[in-house]
Amino acid sequence: MKREPGMAYNISNLNKVFAVLSVLLLLTVIWVVLDDYIRPWKAVQVKAMDIENQVTALKVKEVEGTIDTSKLSAAKEELVQAEKALEENELATRKIKQKITDVENRIYVQNMYNGVQGSQSGEWQFKYEHALSAKHFDEAKKYKKTFDEYKARENAGRDKLKALTGELDGYTAELKKLEEAKTVAEKNVKSIVADRDRLVASLARTEKSPLWALRNAPFIDFLDPTIKIRQYVILNDNSDMYFQQIPKIDRCTTCHVFIDRTGYEDQPNPYKTHPKLDTLAVGVNSAHPIKDFGCTSCHGGVGDRVHDFNSPAHIPQNEAQKKDWIAKYHWHEPHKVPQPMLPLQYSEGMCIKCHKGVERIPLADKLNKGKELTETYGCYGCHKIEGWDHLEKPGPSLEKITAKTNKEWMKNWIWSPHSFNPKSKMPAFFMQANNSAPAYMKKNEAEVNAMVEYLAHQAKPYKPYAPYKGGNTAKGKELIEKVGCVGCHMVEGIDDKWNAVGARKGTYLTGTGSKVDPDWLVSWLKKPNHYQEDTIMPSFRLTDQEANDIAAYLLNLKNEAFAGLTFPELNKKLRDEILVQDYFSAFDTLDTAKKKLEGLSDEERTLELGRRSISKYGCYSCHNINGFSAELPPIGPELTKVGSKPVEQFGFGQQKQVPKTRQGWIAQHLKQPSIWDLGVPKPFKDLNKMPNFYLQDWEIESIMVHLLGLVDAKVPLRGQKILSANEKIAEDGKKVVNKFNCQGCHNIDGNGGELSKAFEDPNYGPPWLVKQGHRVQTDWFNNFLQNVHTIRPYVEVRMPSFNYSNEELNKIVAYFQADSDQPTFENLGKVEWEAGEREAAMKLWNELACTTCHTIGFTKDEAQAPALKDAKLRLRPSWIEKWLTNPTAIMPYTSMPNFWEGGTISASEGVLEDDPKRQIRALRKLIQEWGNSSYPTPLSKN
Amino acid sequence: MIKEFINYLSSPLYSFTGVMAFFFFTVKRPDIVGSKKFGLFSLVSILVIFGWMLADPVFFSVISLPDNIPIIILNAVVLWSWWFAIHKGVENDKRIAAGEGPLEGTPENREKVWAWPNLVYTELFAGIACTVFLIVWAIFFKAPLEEPANPTWAPNPAKAPWYFLGLQEMLVYFDPWMAGVVLPGIILVGLILLPFIDTNPKGNGYYTFAERKFAISGFMFGWIVLWIFLIQVGTFLRGPNWTFYGPFEYWDAHKVVAENNINLSEIMWIKVFNMGLPKNIILREIFGIILTGFYLVGIVPLITKKWGHKFLKDMGTVRYYLLIFLILSAASLPIKMYLRWFINLKYIVAMPEFELNL
Repeated sequence: MKREPGMAYNISNLNKVFAVLSVLLLLTVIWVVLDDYIRPWKAVQVKAMDIENQVTALKVKEVEGTIDTSKLSAAKEELVQAEKALEENELATRKIKQKITDVENRIYVQNMYNGVQGSQSGEWQFKYEHALSAKHFDEAKKYKKTFDEYKARENAGRDKLKALTGELDGYTAELKKLEEAKTVAEKNVKSIVADRDRLVASLARTEKSPLWALRNAPFIDFLDPTIKIRQYVILNDNSDMYFQQIPKIDRCTTCHVFIDRTGYEDQPNPYKTHPKLDTLAVGVNSAHPIKDFGCTSCHGGVGDRVHDFNSPAHIPQNEAQKKDWIAKYHWHEPHKVPQPMLPLQYSEGMCIKCHKGVERIPLADKLNKGKELTETYGCYGCHKIEGWDHLEKPGPSLEKITAKTNKEWMKNWIWSPHSFNPKSKMPAFFMQANNSAPAYMKKNEAEVNAMVEYLAHQAKPYKPYAPYKGGNTAKGKELIEKVGCVGCHMVEGIDDKWNAVGARKGTYLTGTGSKVDPDWLVSWLKKPNHYQEDTIMPSFRLTDQEANDIAAYLLNLKNEAFAGLTFPELNKKLRDEILVQDYFSAFDTLDTAKKKLEGLSDEERTLELGRRSISKYGCYSCHNINGFSAELPPIGPELTKVGSKPVEQFGFGQQKQVPKTRQGWIAQHLKQPSIWDLGVPKPFKDLNKMPNFYLQDWEIESIMVHLLGLVDAKVPLRGQKILSANEKIAEDGKKVVNKFNCQGCHNIDGNGGELSKAFEDPNYGPPWLVKQGHRVQTDWFNNFLQNVHTIRPYVEVRMPSFNYSNEELNKIVAYFQADSDQPTFENLGKVEWEAGEREAAMKLWNELACTTCHTIGFTKDEAQAPALKDAKLRLRPSWIEKWLTNPTAIMPYTSMPNFWEGGTISASEGVLEDDPKRQIRALRKLIQEWGNSSYPTPLSKN
Repeated sequence: MIKEFINYLSSPLYSFTGVMAFFFFTVKRPDIVGSKKFGLFSLVSILVIFGWMLADPVFFSVISLPDNIPIIILNAVVLWSWWFAIHKGVENDKRIAAGEGPLEGTPENREKVWAWPNLVYTELFAGIACTVFLIVWAIFFKAPLEEPANPTWAPNPAKAPWYFLGLQEMLVYFDPWMAGVVLPGIILVGLILLPFIDTNPKGNGYYTFAERKFAISGFMFGWIVLWIFLIQVGTFLRGPNWTFYGPFEYWDAHKVVAENNINLSEIMWIKVFNMGLPKNIILREIFGIILTGFYLVGIVPLITKKWGHKFLKDMGTVRYYLLIFLILSAASLPIKMYLRWFINLKYIVAMPEFELNL
């Protein structure tokens, strides 16, 4: 085509290009607006409307079914009648209505008038006061006059208004009277259909009406949208912005729309109701309402991100869910999120974030189990965990070990504890995947030999407290089952029922005969703290014969296969090699190291390697050993913040199959810690020393709940659980109670008491301690713990005599007292009777036949209940009354009759005007009057 | 096998040498590189090889990072314009040699047209087209809103914006003070000075290569080899810890590379003379100082004698010495790179006491 002069292009072609480009631009603009407008969470909310609609429609139907149609039609008929009656009276009604309108108009006008007068008088009052204070008395006088005028008019106007209002009230009352029948009838109809109408109204809100579409249309949806991001600002927890802590913002409810509403329990996620809505979290009456605690405070994750499914760092529970999520939501591991969501099975761990310094957290059973296992296996021995510092070393003291067992046994035991005791809590250091190469095993054998030589060398001499004189194994077994050993120990060969208690505080007693010295065993049974001063093993006040019988049974338990093992002799060449290569040459040349070795005698070399090896494997972290100071830091890395340790800081070695997550590493580490060394060339001294506990999968999961909860969170003070003074005292006491395993036998306020559960009739087991601080007197309790005496002679299981320190004793007593909100001491005074009260009490005493069971001090019959004469010093008067009122409310298993049925009936007709309270008080006074004024003789202690 | 070979060849030493060799080949034989045949052949082979490389998951994961997409666009644009300029230049050079004058100088190409609508209208088109492109790009590659910055958890590799990756790559060979401040400063000043140094009117308004051989190759060396290529290295071949990774090599953050670099003073005093380092700083660095002095000053008369006297006459003293200084500064980069690769040289002059490391 020919071009026009002065033109490089054909203008109409240019126009076409322009047209095409303009359309393209328009399309891309529309595209980008839609791209911005369409968000995954909006689809979720739209679907949520459908679900709400369905659920509400179902409810409407349900409610409609409950409406009594005959009642409804009757009410409607009544309404029609009332309306008819009103119509007949139409003239009067209309007249009154007219009057009301009239008065209302006048009130309106009067209000306007009053307003003007009031504002004027206010202005002149100000002017007057101002002039007065400026001492312009002439002006003030003038102003006062005007002010007074307005004020007078204002007051008159107010008066008028009052009159008008009174008039109006009169007419309104008249009208109301006329219409009363109709109003009542209307109300009746409404009350019948109110529930349905309310539901129908909310059903309407879930319909997608044109108005709804308009409110959520692009561009104008900033005005008043129904589909919007929903958020809670959580002042109780923080988001860590590294330079700044800011309140957490949780927008989870943008998609989890019904999380705080009942009725959606069966919906799939994200439309589900929170499963613990009423108790634990989210619900308004739960412990953690959503508006105060949000979601990510407990679940982890990034609550303020709602872009898509991946942005809040959702984490699947297991492989199946992961696959499902990848298919459904293109799930991927979150990038660089320091605290992604905890997989659901570990959520309870987060409780520790705010509930610090608490032994047991309610509603967190799995976490409590995890903490218990952390204690059972003594993780805290090697790994410092803040808040666990008060605990004793988990293993027994080795300071007098040669008196207890022999070197050969020790070597074989250290080499492979589980082959002696399958339930061993001592973990296996050797024969692991990373050190079972023959060359390493030889070196390990040299180390074990040297360690045992060192242990034997450091051991202090011990003279047994009592010798073993032989005993009756059958009686021994019976005693073990009876006196209470099974509250802490499982024992091989006893009745399964007692091992089912599952006690793991003490060691599983198996092969004892192949392990311990008989004299030591008898001494240990009779007086444990004779051998180890700080042991928690208590004395059961066994007689010589009893101790010997039990010893006979335990010594009869033999592990022949283990006893037959002979540990290889110490390889002196390897011993010297390890000393030189791994230790002496660490900072010196090989030549100097060799010279250092030459300067040591044979025995010195062995002891040196023993000491070094004990340091290397950290034996001292769990056992007291002479020569290792208590201040030595534990061998393992600190776990206080392990739940926030960056994944990059975990060494995965060559283990590509282990998921690259915190939980993946910890799970693998608990299962088989030696795995990280596989495929990594490491010298002997650098092998991973974390031993293998051979944990079960469920144990690993429970421990992980605890470990993953140890996060580095900066929770503001207002979000933390701050213990009250009494709670703090209680928690301190609970630590001591846990140390001595009181809850192994006693059910304490609903927790523990595994041993008492083993009794068919709990009356014959260790008694429950329900608000024990209210039940007993403080000074009695203090005395009892130190000087145990018999309370229930019919109970065979024994309350042992523990070796508490003064501090521990105080803490236990204070715990129960504080936990029950009781004063320390009570003024018992002298019993003072009202007129006729004592006679009434005597009548009750005889009629209720207390002495049938409470025989002690009254009859020669066998007792089936505690001695009442000891009650005065033992029990608090207010508790006695509470107990008499309703014993089963305190102890559901008790055989004490519920005479007053919770204080609702009279126990004896005609006594004290049949007032149960007075009857109970009278009986309590009697018990107090008859009470002994000194404690019973304590049972003899060893 | 092939992939491993490519990984091997991609190491900075070989790839840089290769790119330089190709560059000099282009300068030497623009007629071959500028031919349509060569262009077509390169286009096809680049597409085929790139396609094949894309099939590799590691390469794909690096190349498809949203941040790296502008660099791919940049590569396409730079390669195309480079080839096109040479192609056109060669065409014109042939005409000039035949006495026909450049294509742009023919009478029909010299006709004058209206700025409106010929220029302004088409500029509007370009504006709209770019807007459309940017919108679509923004839809597909959303600007990421990332985690709050954590000073104790920096990204690895920590990379500069894509257009600065060449500078960042220079940090491997130079002290931050040099690579971050002095050299970029010289580049800026040099670019500002360029129109004042180069007053040669030839090539204005038409493509040519032969007439401006020195100017074009000098500038393009700085642009293509020292800037664009180093961006490629910094983007695609540098992974965690700024360690070199071949295009098919997994970015394993734990890759260990032995890099023990030594200063010239250490080479001379310890390796050559077998004595300790002198306490006196100047004495210690005397070899480097002499060498640098020679490079910046002493070498100039030699260059002038061999190649420069014609330029000196044409350009005048000030322009000439500025040009020489700029060229020497630019050349210092490849020189330092080769010294690093061959003798593990850390610094020629190492005076950390004065923050002066060359």
